[in-house]
Amino acid sequence: MNKTNKLTVPDLISIGVFTALYFVLVTIATFASVAIFPGFNNVVLPAFCALISGCVYTLLVVKLQKFGGISVMGIVMGLFFMISGHFIISFAANIVMGIVADCVAKVGKYKSKKWIILSYVLFSYGLFGPVIPMWFMKDAYVANLVARGKDAVYIAELFANINMVTFVLAVVATLICALVGGWFGMKMIKKHFVKAGIV
Amino acid sequence: MIEVSKASFYYPNTDEGALNDVSLQINSGECVVLCGKSGCGKTTLTRLLNGLAPSFFDGKLDGMCQSFGLCAGEAAIEEYVPIVGSVFQNPKTQHFNIDTTAELAFPCENMGMNSTDIQERVRSCANEFAMEHLMDRSIFKLSGGEKQKIAFATACMLQPKLLVLDEPTSNLDYKAIQELHDMIAKKKSEGITIVIAEHRLAWLADIADRFCYFASGELQRQWNATEFLKLSNEEMQKMGLRPMDITSYRKRAKEKTKSEMLGSIPLMSAEHLLVGYEKKKPVYEIDRFAICKGEIVGLMGSNGVGKSTFAKTLCGLQKPIAGTMEPVKEKERLKKSFMVMQDVNYQLFSDSVREEVLLGANRPELCEAVLEALGLTEFADRHPISLSGGQKQRVAIASAMLSGKELIVLDEPTSGLDYYHMTQVAHLLNQLKEWGAAVLVITHDEELAAGWCDRVIYLEDKGKKNGI
Amino acid sequence: MKLRLDPRTKLFLLLLSNMTLFFHVNLITEVILVSILLSLFFFSGRYKSGIRMTLIYGFMVSAEFLIIPYTEGVFLNFIAMFSVGIRMMLPCVISGAYAFSTTTVGEMVCGLRKIKVPECIIVPSVTIIRFFPTIAEDYRQIKNAMAFRGIASGKLALLRNPAQSLEYILMPLLMNSNNVAQDLSVAAMTKGISMPGIHTSMTELRMTAADGCCMLAGVMPFALYFGGVL
Repeated sequence: MNKTNKLTVPDLISIGVFTALYFVLVTIATFASVAIFPGFNNVVLPAFCALISGCVYTLLVVKLQKFGGISVMGIVMGLFFMISGHFIISFAANIVMGIVADCVAKVGKYKSKKWIILSYVLFSYGLFGPVIPMWFMKDAYVANLVARGKDAVYIAELFANINMVTFVLAVVATLICALVGGWFGMKMIKKHFVKAGIV
Repeated sequence: MIEVSKASFYYPNTDEGALNDVSLQINSGECVVLCGKSGCGKTTLTRLLNGLAPSFFDGKLDGMCQSFGLCAGEAAIEEYVPIVGSVFQNPKTQHFNIDTTAELAFPCENMGMNSTDIQERVRSCANEFAMEHLMDRSIFKLSGGEKQKIAFATACMLQPKLLVLDEPTSNLDYKAIQELHDMIAKKKSEGITIVIAEHRLAWLADIADRFCYFASGELQRQWNATEFLKLSNEEMQKMGLRPMDITSYRKRAKEKTKSEMLGSIPLMSAEHLLVGYEKKKPVYEIDRFAICKGEIVGLMGSNGVGKSTFAKTLCGLQKPIAGTMEPVKEKERLKKSFMVMQDVNYQLFSDSVREEVLLGANRPELCEAVLEALGLTEFADRHPISLSGGQKQRVAIASAMLSGKELIVLDEPTSGLDYYHMTQVAHLLNQLKEWGAAVLVITHDEELAAGWCDRVIYLEDKGKKNGI
Repeated sequence: MKLRLDPRTKLFLLLLSNMTLFFHVNLITEVILVSILLSLFFFSGRYKSGIRMTLIYGFMVSAEFLIIPYTEGVFLNFIAMFSVGIRMMLPCVISGAYAFSTTTVGEMVCGLRKIKVPECIIVPSVTIIRFFPTIAEDYRQIKNAMAFRGIASGKLALLRNPAQSLEYILMPLLMNSNNVAQDLSVAAMTKGISMPGIHTSMTELRMTAADGCCMLAGVMPFALYFGGVL
């Protein structure tokens, strides 16, 4: 069946199945980060998620071996984020990172371990969508607090600091976690799926 | 009509043909049963008839296989959609939608029918099969039998000329099979051609016109229905087939409900037990139960009566709602027991058979002996997932033996098995018994219960509570 | 007569609620929009979720007046992040919850087809919804299997040996998902999912006066805000 280079219906169904798993892992990661770091959960989320979802992503890539699969996954993820009430920019972030990740994996012909892991790192940055509203909200935070009688300068300092530091932290953490998660995923595929003769 | 001539089929990376030089003609309106041991080629033939092979299931086809003008390998899978309806084995993975009405409408939507026509056809189909009560329900809340009914009705939605069923009853109880039987009989009376690949044959006695027996990919013999019904159970067993007449087995299984426990000291026991998942929704009430080491006990009863809930409670996965159990603590019971699930894939975690059986083992020194006894030595380094269903079952059991479990529960171990493979499972049960384990088998298989269980516990419908 | 909105209307309301974040509308505009959204729950007979959402939103808004003025330092940070952050996301969450809980899969597919979303997005989306319950069921089975083997049992196991626990849970899950993907493909193909040509829907969608009213009501607070009234 997998003779053509276009995505077939079974491919789309596989994408759906694995995206559902990915979405569930994202949801688990969300709850876990809310429980562990309340208030900063959006910042921790991408890294945490990247750490645990590597297997799902890499298996899909290795199984499909076609251009378009990761892009569709990104688009569908974005769509579900949007319908489940995330900020609309998450949608855009997922699509853009999905397509970029697809192109990167294609460079390695969907076989090279290095390129797949790199594409996973990029795909994981798609999860920054839900973090982006923090920038939109920053001014609103400040305005709100000023309106409730707080010292404006003090507040501005407080938040500027936190936003910059947390942003850099989140980016670096996601990078490391996605590398580890992707590497773990590739290892699991070799250990189980290749050995069992499934891919 | 169907014409198969000199058809051979080879899956990729195999030298042996899944089908070898099969020639067969099926007339319009005929109902033909394909039988034979697992791996005999009957499923492959159904795939050629409904166009899934070689376009979805890759492989090389020699010869010709034509169903109603569509030739396998030439016609696209889409051309088969309005002509052939298909029903498969697993009720859990046959539906693409989450509610029943949408599932029935699905083929019509794909054909581009307009909305009023679809609604009309869904209504008439529900009416035809008397399943209005199943409409607009979540398929996930239906029983296995109801799911297969929906699958069959969906296959009929486009009014196909041919219906192809691949082991549709392997997970069903007696009542559900009867209902499916009636639906098929109805379609047959409308003149639709029906091909059924099946292990359980008894329910087909009055609808099949012809029986085709396959062995290692070859069509070895054909009988018309009257000839086939004359075959004795012994002759059927020799061919590795399930019996046509199961009344004697059913009777013997019933008699075994009166048998006494084989030992005097029970390994586990319960009194006035009320099981269920929620306090307010009990599932089943059992007056008393006991099982001791060295006996095989069959646990029977219709689908959804509460067999698995009871087994889970016994194994300590679930707290009883009321009643006393011995051992009292769930943890104690869990430590002593093991369940071989119906879908054994869930319980395989490692990347080789040896590691799998040693994972969490309390008695690793027995590893080689147990592998040898269960015939797994030659697979010790293989990935468990790459083994056959029966081998996976044995891997799970080996792991239970090595962790020193005393109660082994098997959930429907013989569903979808031919006679030959069923006896192999039965042999395994005996091995466990000799090993000194208490064996509890949840089963619908009267033949297994009659032949190999020491006693049978039948969960009557009257003990059923309103929960679930 | 319960209110039933067209999925396209729900999508429009979802986009509108995103606007509150985009344009930093002031609190009063947001409150008006959210009240309209919340009333939809009640008109559609979803009383329970309606009440729950109202309580959460009400709590967040009142926190701003009752708690924030009286806190300082690190706590201020936490509480501000928490209440303001979550409150500002709530319009999206509320309209999302409304869309999700009142739309059947059939309506969703029909709606997506009407706004010309290609089949290559619709098929995976439907598969996802179809597959969620299977994941839950599979997870329960795997958890039971692990309990019998005594592996990774107990609450701390996941923390003590995270990589191993992840492997034990995910591998059977992925193996099974892979099988289900194949079975679902077979089932869907024989039912004509890959038919060329237009796929129709049994569900009929039509924009009604109610849809128009809801969209107008949703636009109103923004019009007032940008017009300088609010």
